Amino acid sequence: MKLNALQLDALAEIFNHGVGQAALALSELAGEEVQLSAPKVEELSRTQITDKLNEQGANRICAVRQGFSGDINTEALLMFPVDQSLQLVQLMVGDDFPLAQLSEMEQESLAEIGNILLNSVVSSVADMLNIEFEGTLPHVELGQVSEVLHTSESLDDLILSLQINFKIASRQIQGYLVFLLDVASSDMLEKKISAFLGSLS
Amino acid sequence: MSVESSTGPSASRLPIWLDWVLYNTQSGLVLLDADMRIVFANKWFLLRARLLAEEVNTKALLEVFPVLQGGHFERALVKAMRSGFPALMSQTLHPSPFPLYAPVGTRANENLLRQSIHIVPMGPVDVAIAGQRYTLIQITDVSPTFARERMLKAHADRMSDLVHIDALTGLGNRRFFDESMAAEVRAASRSGAHLGLVMLDIDRFKQFNDLYGHPAGDRCLQAVAEVLKAVCRRPRDLVARYGGEELAVILPDTDEAGAIQVAKDILQKLRDLRIAHADNLDQSVVTASAGVYAGQPHADASVASLIQNADQALYAAKNDGRNRVFCFDTGRNAALAV
Repeated sequence: MKLNALQLDALAEIFNHGVGQAALALSELAGEEVQLSAPKVEELSRTQITDKLNEQGANRICAVRQGFSGDINTEALLMFPVDQSLQLVQLMVGDDFPLAQLSEMEQESLAEIGNILLNSVVSSVADMLNIEFEGTLPHVELGQVSEVLHTSESLDDLILSLQINFKIASRQIQGYLVFLLDVASSDMLEKKISAFLGSLS
Repeated sequence: MSVESSTGPSASRLPIWLDWVLYNTQSGLVLLDADMRIVFANKWFLLRARLLAEEVNTKALLEVFPVLQGGHFERALVKAMRSGFPALMSQTLHPSPFPLYAPVGTRANENLLRQSIHIVPMGPVDVAIAGQRYTLIQITDVSPTFARERMLKAHADRMSDLVHIDALTGLGNRRFFDESMAAEVRAASRSGAHLGLVMLDIDRFKQFNDLYGHPAGDRCLQAVAEVLKAVCRRPRDLVARYGGEELAVILPDTDEAGAIQVAKDILQKLRDLRIAHADNLDQSVVTASAGVYAGQPHADASVASLIQNADQALYAAKNDGRNRVFCFDTGRNAALAV
């Protein structure tokens, strides 16, 4: 474990602020209320995340990936079981589509939804922990959990996982937001959180 | 990276090849300064916005394009410029934010282009060099992809229709009935609405087939189907061929009195057709019997039990002498004549 309970709590609070902002933006987009649950923040291994998604019966997942670089380098992934990603797009777009897979255009709308959530969460981290980031545009990946997660082996030092539940029109959709960090970045994050906690006391 | 050279009204001070690249790029490029003023817009964009460079350069973006004010685009742009993180706006969620049209401006071609938009603000490192945060808006015309997907969906819809339609009568088939019934029961239990169900069976249809032959039997079924279509004309009424000579009607937002009326109308209209049926006992024409069930399904209501109630009423109508409507009474747990 890289972070202690107090540090994880502080992160959860910061993430929650970002998730709240994202819920507002997504509600505006959907034209109806989108509720996002307060995320539970955990340090998990790749295997544990894979197991959690597999427990949901998600053999194949759909992920929105963005990279953030600067004081801290991280790959952020918002992952859904494929059927959940279909439902989410269907609810946001307000359209029923007979196709069993996300079309190109629908994948793009999933990228937009993920982009809103990832940018909000990372903005909160940047603002509250005083970190400068550059971000990339989102892209959508489809595949086995292990394939999607195992792309960058160096980003293995710290993996933060947030379980996020979307609630739209009385339907629940469960996703995972994962941040992969390398050694230098996880050390820096730990330092920044300590400074943040120090500034509070 | 230097942006200084492009701040003039024309990009003439750029290296010639860079000027040429921007001129020939096949997507729209609009560069904004930190005050949301247009520093540069490329030819692709200007042609489709039907504007000249001097009409946009140094002007405020939201004044050049007032339709963007207060919408999703402005919110996304403001957020991106503030956070420094790139944002994407998908065609599916925002079809055509910018008033862009096909460049050949014939009147037949006045549809707004379907747009996929990337908003890319400068990151902190480049901001430090440039002295302010510039933001690049990149617009791709996805109209062809949109058209292709719409065609694909229309095709998928048609395939779905084919597996849901009974070839002989043109009514929904059993699969359609089962799927619709499950969906309507769910919808009614959520909203607390009434749901009516009518099951119909053509009286002594086997004898009709024996007497007049199967082609006549097919024509008879088609005639009955037309009666059902004529009576159940509300957009959400669902009519299906449930089995051989058994037909079913799902009536959303319909209470018991309404469902009984529909059943009676169907039976009357069918008698009025006066299709000869010499072996229909005391009747000389084709008739049918109907079983009705209507109620407000609970969230845990089983579809099978609702169908069974209507079926029990149908069975009672048959036993009572045919050519009549029975309705299932939940209170007494029995089918009663109406």
